[in-house]
This record gives sequence, structure tokens and C-alpha cells, in this order.
Amino acid sequence: MLKSKKHVLWEALIVTIVIFLAGLFLGMLIETSNSVEISNLFTQSEISLTDAMATSRLVEDFDFDCEDIKQNNIKFANRIYEEAQTLEEYEASGKLTDSMKLLHKKYDLLRTLLWTSNQKSLDRCENYNLIVYLYEYNSEDTNKKAIQNVWSKILLDVKDQNDNILLLPIAGDQDLTSLDLLMNEHQVTQLPAVVINNNEVLYEVDSINQIQTLLN
Amino acid sequence: MEFLTILYFVYTFIAFYFLMIYIMTYFQNRKHIFETIEPDKIRSLSIVIPCFNEDKNIARNIEAFLASDYKGLKKLIIVDDCSTDNSYEIIKEYAKKYPRVIALQTPKNTGRAAGAKNFGIKYVKTELIGFSDADSLPNKNAISKMIGVFNDTKVGGVTSRVFVNNPKKYLTKIQAIEYKIIAFTRKLLEFLDAIYVTNGPLSIYRKKAFDQTGGFDLNNLTEDIELTWHLVAKGWKVKMSIPAIIRSYVPKTIKTWFHQRIRWNVGGIQTIAKYRKQVLGTGMLGLFIMPFFVLSWFLGLTGLVFLTYRLTRYLMMKFLVAKYSVAAQVALVSMEDFSLNPSILFIFGIVLLSLGLAYTVVALAHSKESGRIIGHSILDIFIYSFFYLLMYPPLLIVSFYKYLRGYNTW
Repeated sequence: MLKSKKHVLWEALIVTIVIFLAGLFLGMLIETSNSVEISNLFTQSEISLTDAMATSRLVEDFDFDCEDIKQNNIKFANRIYEEAQTLEEYEASGKLTDSMKLLHKKYDLLRTLLWTSNQKSLDRCENYNLIVYLYEYNSEDTNKKAIQNVWSKILLDVKDQNDNILLLPIAGDQDLTSLDLLMNEHQVTQLPAVVINNNEVLYEVDSINQIQTLLN
Repeated sequence: MEFLTILYFVYTFIAFYFLMIYIMTYFQNRKHIFETIEPDKIRSLSIVIPCFNEDKNIARNIEAFLASDYKGLKKLIIVDDCSTDNSYEIIKEYAKKYPRVIALQTPKNTGRAAGAKNFGIKYVKTELIGFSDADSLPNKNAISKMIGVFNDTKVGGVTSRVFVNNPKKYLTKIQAIEYKIIAFTRKLLEFLDAIYVTNGPLSIYRKKAFDQTGGFDLNNLTEDIELTWHLVAKGWKVKMSIPAIIRSYVPKTIKTWFHQRIRWNVGGIQTIAKYRKQVLGTGMLGLFIMPFFVLSWFLGLTGLVFLTYRLTRYLMMKFLVAKYSVAAQVALVSMEDFSLNPSILFIFGIVLLSLGLAYTVVALAHSKESGRIIGHSILDIFIYSFFYLLMYPPLLIVSFYKYLRGYNTW
């Protein structure tokens, strides 16, 4: 006669806990590894930004070639744009830690600095366009998220069609004092918004053409 | 961590735990699954079969029981519940021809199988009492494969394995898969003394144990679940014999299937409500069966809520993005829409799904009817796993609603 084997209830519980902890540990490991990768990229970008800011100061004092300034700025902006895409991908898969959110904030600060450092270059050199896309990062509103998704596509298309675009997507609700000041300066009252060449602020983006007409 | 993520982890943990119980129980007992215990003596047995408007099936049912190879089968008590067709005439014909067959009729229609069964119980004087449905067909050796478990004086009941009879329509084919998995799972639960139902098509009880329950509960829509819980609550063990096979007809249309499932669920809720005070009490009923039953429902409902929430948000987002993209004349889909970095939640989900599918395949492989290993097409298993099972939680919600509205119709 078979005896009841209720001890399997405890064994299964222990195995489940072990598998779960192993899974969580693995998840943490992956997320930490992603975070380290982004942090490394960020350090490099920080160096590039410092370089860009130094260039910007030099522009004030010396008569540099605007084409060089344009190329450098766009190249740098493109790089942090690509890094931001990687960050977003990791961020979407990160469920256990908040490290990616902090990195996102650091990148937003980096892009804000790039925005400020370009004010003078843009005034002197009119050979490129600065598009700052301010979006809402913490929105739970599906409609707003969909709108932001489409705006991103529109702006990316504009950037792809023109080789003189410096595109800076920045989360406008990250509680960054410098960014808030800049947004006040440009009278940005709601998100999402698009600031073109520090002049025009758009709260409605319907098509690529609408943006194209406002570019240099 | 977000609330939804925490909830998802709790859900996954419970699901993993249940699956682990099954998997580990299977590996520890796989040599005993098909084991049959030889009876130490012939025990006298009466089978009670309620019948209502079954003139198409009752003759085959009686003949199948008469063909049983079990020597101790003394009486076949067929209780007609005032059928409006020829059922009672057929039963009487058999009673004339075979002394073992007893034809009875209730004074008035009781409206449910439990009523007719309780009526028939009064005529049972044997050591064991069995119950069957009028549309079920036991294998010749089904009863003799079940009796050996009564060698253990603590065993109060034993149930059989139900196969779907002649599954030709698609819905019956899917139910054939379902019944096999249910039977396999029930057998695994037997190793934990945690069988929660002795099925209606064929179950046998020790008369002494059965009498302690006072018979079937007429107010319960699933009198077989209620009786099993009652037996366990009284301290009796309940067993299952996998080699004891009985074939039964299952609903062929969505409407009858829906009605049957609502009845099963409402009956389950009624049973939980009746025994609620025993939750976490002593014995397997309070410590495992009830929490297991309730948590299974919790898993089903939580899974449905998760799926509905995620799917709705996803579809709404896709719809809005498509709408705005068309208006803005930009691409509907871009590379940024595809993420190649799955989250840990996704990985947990995939592992759980894979283990669940593996369990389904193992269960089917242990339920061979023909020479084929699995016996069902991959498409059918896919439909069962990804669509049919998704019907459980909505049915449960409807059942809760009906229970609260006092639904109690057979």
C-alpha cells in the first residue's frame, strides 16, 4: 500500500523558492549589467559634452568654421540619441531596479546641457537647426503616449531627411531645475512640446512638412 | 517596484509552486500511477444509477455494468427520476430479465441527480456502494480495478478515470484532452491525499463511510464534490484508480457546455461556502484542498485580469499610434517598436508556459487510448492550451455572479 507523500509540498515549496530566487538574481544581474553598460556610455558622453561645451566657449572668442561646429554638435547629438535608444530598450525590460530611471535622468541632464551649450553657436551659425523635443516621461495616459510615439517618428523622419538637424529629445518632467528654467525661458507650458531653433514652440505636430517649413 | 510587477511575481510564484507539486509528485510516483491493488477479498457492491430521459443510453449503460468482471457486484439499482420518455420501460425490461437489476422510480421528479441517488441508497445493503451516470459506459474491468483500495480500512471512496466517449465534434475533442489532464492531475493529487472530487460517472464508496455523510447534499449543484469533501472532513481517505476507465458523453454544443460549467463552478462555490470554516484547519481538506481550490481560482482570475489589462492597453496603444501615424503620414511600424531585451517577467512567463505545456504532453502521454504516444494533434493541444483554458476565468466570473443571485438549477 502506498503511503501518502505530503513531504512533496515542502520540497516543491523549497524548489520553487530556489528557482524564484535564482530567477530574481539572474534578472538583477542582467539589469545591473545593462546599467553598467549605459553608465560606461554615459561617461564617454560626458567627456564629449565637456568637449562640446569647451568648443562652445571658444566660439564666443574665436572665429571658428561654422561647418565644423555643426558637424561636431550633430555627431555628438546623434551619438547620445543612439545611446538613449539603447537606454530605453533596457529601461523597458528593467523591472527589478530603478537604476535605469536614474540614468535616464542623467541623460536628460546631459541633453539639457547640450541644449544650453548650443544657444550661442546657433545664434552665430545659422547652418544647422536645433529641434528640442520635450516629452512627458511619467505619463500613464495612453493617448498621450501614442501622440508622443508618433511625434518621435515624425521628428526622426525630419532628421533623416535633413543632414543639418540637431535633435534633442528630453523628458520634461524629470524635476531638473536647469531644464525647468529653460522651459520657462521658452514659455513651454505643456508637454509634449517641440522647440525649433529656440524660437518656435509647437504643441501640435501634424506632419513632417509642418516642421520642415520652420527650419533654416 | 511597481504594484503590478509585485502582483505578477506573486501570481507566478503560486503558479510555479502548483506546477512544481505536480512535477515532483509525478517524478516521485511515476511507477505507481498505473498500479492496481489486488482485493484481499470479494466485497459486495451495489451500483446506483440515476436516470432522467436517457432512453437512448440507459440500455447500453446497464449492459456495460452487467458485463463487468467483478464478482461482487450484487445489485444494479436504476432510479428513474420520472422520465418523460421510455427510460423507465427499458429499465423495467432489464429488471425482468436480470435479477441483479432493480428498477425504481422516484414518487415525483427530484430535479437533480442527487435526489434520485439518495432515493436509491435506501435499497443498498452491501459493503460498498457505487454511483454512475446513465450515459456512461464502464470498461469490463473498471470496477475490479477499483476495489483493491478498500483493503486499506481508512479508505472511504475511490474514483475512476473518465474518457470522453466518441469525441467527433471539435468541442468534444478538446474536452477529451481536458478530461485526460484532469484525470492525470487527480491521480497525482491522490499521492498527497488531496483528491477533491470523486466523479459522477463512476465512483465507489465504503457504505459505512458514505452513511456518515448522510448522503448527497440536495442543495449542492456538484453533489460529488461536496460528498468528497465531506468524506475527507470525516477523516476518510479518497483514492483514484487510473486503470479503471469509464467513457462518458460530454456536451457537444457551446450552450450545453457553458451550462454544465456554470453548474460545476456554482457547485464548487457552494461547497467552499459550506466548508469555509475548515480552511487552514487540521487535515488535508483545510490545509491543502481548500486553499488549493481557492488559489487555483485566484490564479485564473488574476491571470485574466492581467491579460485583459495588458492586451487592452497594448491594443489601444497600437490603435492610437496607427491612427495618428496615418494622419501624420509616417510609418506605422518602426524598428524602435521591437525590443530584443525581454524582461525578467517575460522570461518567468515563458518558463511557466513551457513547463505547463510539458505537463500537458506528459499527462496525455499517460492517457493513451490508441497506439499513438500523445493521441491528439498539436493543433488541438494548442487550441486547448491557449484558447480553451482561457474560458475558465470568465466562466468563473459568471458563476460567481449567478451564485450571488441564488442560482441553483441543475
